[in-house]
Amino acid sequence: MNRLYNSMEPRVMDDDMLKLAVGDQGPQEEAGQLAKQEGILFKDVLSLQLDFRNILRIDNLWQFENLRKLQLNNNIIEKIEGLENLTHLVWLDLSFNNIETIEGLDTLVNLEDLSLFNNRISKIDSLDTLVKLQVLSLGNNRIDNMMNIIYLRRFKCLRTLSLSGNPISEAEDYKMFICAYLADLVYLDFRRIDDHTKELAEAKHQYSIDELKHRENLMQARLEEEQAQREELEKHKTAFVEHLNGSFLFDSMYAEDSEGNKLSYLPGVSELLETYKDKFVIICVNIFEYGLKQQEKRKTELDTFSECVHEAIQENQEQGKRKIARFEEKHLSSLSAIREESELPNIEKMILECSADISELFDALMMLEMQLVEQLEETINMFERNIVDMVGLFIENVQSLIAQCRDLENHHHKKLLEISISTLEKIVKGDLDEDLPDDLRALFVDKDTIVNAVGASHDIHLLKIDNREDELVTRINSWCTRLVDKIHKDEIMRNRRRVKEINQYIDHMQSELDNLECGDILD
Amino acid sequence: MEVLREKVEEEEEAEREEAAERAEWVRMEKMMRPVEVRKEETTLKQETLRDLEKKLSEIQITVSAELPAFTKDTIDISKLPVSYKTNTPKEEHLLQVADNFSRQYSHLCPDRVPLFLHPLNECEVPKFVSTTLRPTLMPYPELYNWDSCAQFVSDFLTMVPLPDPLKPPSHMYSSTTVLKYQKGNCFDFSTLLCSMLIGSGYDAYCVNGYGSLDLCHMDLTREVCPLTVKPKETIKEEEKVLPKKYTIKPPRDLCSRFEQEQEVKKQQEIRAQEQKRLREEEERLMEAEKAKPDALHGLRVHSWVLVLSGKREVPENFFIDPFTGHSYSTQDEHFLGIESLWNHKNYWINMQDCWNCCKDLIFDLGDPVRWEYMLLGTDKSQLSLTEEDDSGINDEDDVENLGKEDEDKSFDMPHSWVEQIEISPEAFETRCPNGKKVIQYKRAKLEKWAPYLNSNGLVSRLTTYKDLECTNILEIKEWYQNREDMLELKHMNKTTDLKTDYFKPGHPQALRVHSYKSMQPEMDRVIEFYETARVDGLIKREETPRTMTEYYQGRPDFLSYRHANFGPRVKKLTLSSAESNPRPIVKITEQFFRNPAKPAEEDVAERVFLVAEERIQLRYHCREDHITASKREFLRRTEVDNKGNKIIMTPDMCISFEVEPMEHTKKLLYQYEAMMHLKREEKLSRHQVWESELEVLEILKLREEEEAAHTLTISIYDTKRNEKSKEYREAMERVMHEEHLRQVETQLDYLAPFLAQLPPGEKLTRWQAVRLKDECLSDFKQRLINKANLIQARFEKETQELQKKQQWYQENQVTLTPEDEDLYLSYCSQAMFRIRILEQRLNRHKELAPLKYLALEEKLYKDPRLGELQKIFA
Repeated sequence: MNRLYNSMEPRVMDDDMLKLAVGDQGPQEEAGQLAKQEGILFKDVLSLQLDFRNILRIDNLWQFENLRKLQLNNNIIEKIEGLENLTHLVWLDLSFNNIETIEGLDTLVNLEDLSLFNNRISKIDSLDTLVKLQVLSLGNNRIDNMMNIIYLRRFKCLRTLSLSGNPISEAEDYKMFICAYLADLVYLDFRRIDDHTKELAEAKHQYSIDELKHRENLMQARLEEEQAQREELEKHKTAFVEHLNGSFLFDSMYAEDSEGNKLSYLPGVSELLETYKDKFVIICVNIFEYGLKQQEKRKTELDTFSECVHEAIQENQEQGKRKIARFEEKHLSSLSAIREESELPNIEKMILECSADISELFDALMMLEMQLVEQLEETINMFERNIVDMVGLFIENVQSLIAQCRDLENHHHKKLLEISISTLEKIVKGDLDEDLPDDLRALFVDKDTIVNAVGASHDIHLLKIDNREDELVTRINSWCTRLVDKIHKDEIMRNRRRVKEINQYIDHMQSELDNLECGDILD
Repeated sequence: MEVLREKVEEEEEAEREEAAERAEWVRMEKMMRPVEVRKEETTLKQETLRDLEKKLSEIQITVSAELPAFTKDTIDISKLPVSYKTNTPKEEHLLQVADNFSRQYSHLCPDRVPLFLHPLNECEVPKFVSTTLRPTLMPYPELYNWDSCAQFVSDFLTMVPLPDPLKPPSHMYSSTTVLKYQKGNCFDFSTLLCSMLIGSGYDAYCVNGYGSLDLCHMDLTREVCPLTVKPKETIKEEEKVLPKKYTIKPPRDLCSRFEQEQEVKKQQEIRAQEQKRLREEEERLMEAEKAKPDALHGLRVHSWVLVLSGKREVPENFFIDPFTGHSYSTQDEHFLGIESLWNHKNYWINMQDCWNCCKDLIFDLGDPVRWEYMLLGTDKSQLSLTEEDDSGINDEDDVENLGKEDEDKSFDMPHSWVEQIEISPEAFETRCPNGKKVIQYKRAKLEKWAPYLNSNGLVSRLTTYKDLECTNILEIKEWYQNREDMLELKHMNKTTDLKTDYFKPGHPQALRVHSYKSMQPEMDRVIEFYETARVDGLIKREETPRTMTEYYQGRPDFLSYRHANFGPRVKKLTLSSAESNPRPIVKITEQFFRNPAKPAEEDVAERVFLVAEERIQLRYHCREDHITASKREFLRRTEVDNKGNKIIMTPDMCISFEVEPMEHTKKLLYQYEAMMHLKREEKLSRHQVWESELEVLEILKLREEEEAAHTLTISIYDTKRNEKSKEYREAMERVMHEEHLRQVETQLDYLAPFLAQLPPGEKLTRWQAVRLKDECLSDFKQRLINKANLIQARFEKETQELQKKQQWYQENQVTLTPEDEDLYLSYCSQAMFRIRILEQRLNRHKELAPLKYLALEEKLYKDPRLGELQKIFA
């Protein structure tokens, strides 16, 4: 490199520069000649060194998909950018640049070693996704807040950290603080942390750390709980009976029903509502449990099916492998016999025999495959029938249970209507003892109004129930069709792949034989 | 007794009824029991019963005065305890009861042999058989189970045949005596074994009965050696997998069923013929092997042990022959009949017919119809209580009998008169008399030795023969113990000349099995290893003159197999023989297990280095859902193109078949790098093969050295044999002893001789105390002076002698022979040494004497007995 270092003119990362670098750093000697002959694709490069090049802007790196190690140190980079595609990166060196904030590293989840030494960073940030980080070098920066250390606690693999040359390293408590808060750290500022220091630090900061830990634990516990709940709900969803193990449906029925809520203040209605709710919830729970049971059944059915199919395919593959092995043995010996044979007519005869063998193998393999396809088709059809039956039965039973719900609702409606009308009569007669809320009393103007109000409430309830039923039925039906489609598609794909594989193999064998022929004729 | 009587009556009735058939019946019976022979002579009729009774009562269980198993003179009875020489009153009582029982028995069953109840012991005292059993639990954990126990008894004792093979012996010695002399007849054997079995919790009984000739003479030549019998391969019950719901249907079978049936029929016919031929062959062989008929079949008395089911988790009844220690089922045809049996609590007589050997016997000792007990009240006779009531009411001696039974009821078996059975650890380890035993089996000979008896650790040898006469050796198996090289078993096959050594874990080269024909290298051999003990995970190495195959397991590089073919050795005339001249390698084949971390199409399954042809073949693993595997072949020619440039890599140097074609593998660079890598690997593999060869040489050398040295290891817990620990222990003991002596010396009481002059028990007056002290001190002073004088005298004597000698030497210096001169010089040096020592002792004595004197004075002051002295000064 015979350019002057202090000529501060920035350079652009263009194709030529990259090509040159790749060529320089690629294979040497004999392999190098080959590489030159063929050219190197950027995506095959695993490690790239671009230091002391006065680069201002990171660019043109998107082709290096498989890059593991990238060195961009000693440039004049001001912003981390253009690294989004290098997801396989393990080692990234950006030291001795002019970077001010940490950014643009979110996609580099495999990063283990990150060096940002001698930059202008003032805050440790935006590193959340780099869970595999082991070595972090942030020396000679402008970090001045101790709280940045606590941010580093989330990196469970972090073993080496350098922070010297930052404003915080001036603090007298600097080393102790880091040792205490990052207990898994082994090296700090290129020195091993001895056990003694660790103990001292721990003793010094025990209280605050304990508090921190407690908080972290609480957070963790809450996250886990949420996770568990989500999983539970997910499980219920796969059984298509989510939110049916309680009064959720019932509550939703009354959520948008203003008249119903108003009517519940009528004398005797609250008791009625209570019993109605109890009965309703019992039916819902029944549906829920039945759904879970059915889900279990469907799952075992599916498991047995896939197990059987898997076994069948395995068995078939074994047969195929045996056939190929037997063929290869024979083929090898006949090939070597052909090589040794000198009489041309004999050679031709033997080659003919060989190709006959190959086509025989082809036939045998294809036969096996056809047989398997037939067998699987039969099984798949059987499974399809069964699963459709099962789903149908499930829907039927759920519908009958939901019909019970509807009956309950109708019953409730009737009762409510009776009470309302009797109350109306009382009001008309004027011998109502209890006082009613004003908005409720407003309904009792005439018979039509009150009947309409009660009817509206009833309609809303029925609508809710119908909606829930429809949702369940459509979802399970779509699940069923999707499953069956997938099974069919998978089987077709498998068949295609196998046929392709067989053809490829046979072609290879045949071409090998042809080559031999040509060679012999040439000789 | 009622039962007995009933039985007799039944028999009589049967006799009357079947008088016509008697002749034939008798002929049949003759085969089984000697008693039945006599039956012909004694005609049993109701009228003559009384007469008979009288006659029979005269029949005594006479003790025949024949020679016992080993002559009595050899037994030293003087040291035996009293219980051996006399009977306690209780024992006397028991003997009376037994006699009474015997009389009644012989009265009721006159056609049976007299009972074997109380033979004489070594002191000529009659002892009841049950009291001869001494249940003992041995302190050796090996003797806790019946099989090892029986094996021990059969090994430990030497068998002596019965003096009269048709009668039970007249003498039966205690187990202690038998153990001491390590000899005995079948009754001694079974008594000892039974004692040990009962002691360790088995429900065991001594049996007096009839055995086959082979059994009685401990003749195993018609038995197949248990060590040669291969354990039957347990046929794994194939779990019938229930066809699952969606199991695919098998493809339709298009073969003709009729043709198949015909084929099966034909094959069955062929097989039947084959089987018939085999069976005939077998029968012929059996005929040849069968023993000559024994004239005394069924009459030979034998004693063995019966173990009943129930205790110690014994699932069913079985017999143990104490001579061989083998167990037999109760149906075995070697056991021809049972007279009686006993344990340490009771005695039972068999009332069942033994016409079909012991096959029909039922061993329910509580059943009084089948088994007549002697003493009531033991655990086995619960059944009798119910049967007693309804039987034998109208009998004549009912009253008498009842009285007797009451008497019996209150009586239980006295304690055994035999001393505790003890086997010393030495005897236990030596096992066989003189530590050696030879057993002859059918076509096999088994020799056993005690551990450490043979210097090469040989403990047993089994020789198998081809023929019955044992002349043509088929194979030899030798078992070793305590070998330092962990050799366990040596197997020599004489027909194929193949030798196989088996090792226990712990050989320095981790050997497990080594089979070979000769110890020369590069010959046929198979070496197996304990792969966990080896760093390279080698399991097995097979060698033939031209190949070497190695099998590996658990390696980080997943290598599983390496096969090397060698070419003929190139003659190198110039090189000296000391330098190794390895054979050229023609081909190396290596196979690998699947590496789960790599995708299948990059994971090599097999690579073949064709060294001579400069070719490398690779075969990759097959992917889970594929049936074909990728292949690649490299030709390693380096050529020069027409311009004179070296061709590095051309596409035709690498032929590859890929199941799923990949882009990057097509590149020449990739292929070049792969080839370079393989070249390096080839070099390494070749090196590995050579190293393996060297290792074989090393192993062979080591084995030869070990065979020559055959050192034995001694456990650190073996206090008897471990010389080192013994020395150490003795040294410790010596030190302790010396320490003890020193202590005694320091406690020497100076005052004792002086105090003895005074009357004892009185308190000393002051004057006496002072006098005592002075006397003691002056005495001590005198002694010190005497000692000094003695040393001085010796010193002077020695000096004088030396001077004399020197004088003599100076006078005769000229005439002396060199030997005399040497003698003189050595004398001089010795004398000088002695003088110097004496001088030193004298000086030391002079220095120490005043100190010792002062010390004594001090001690006397402080002596509490001379308290008076202190008072003055106090």
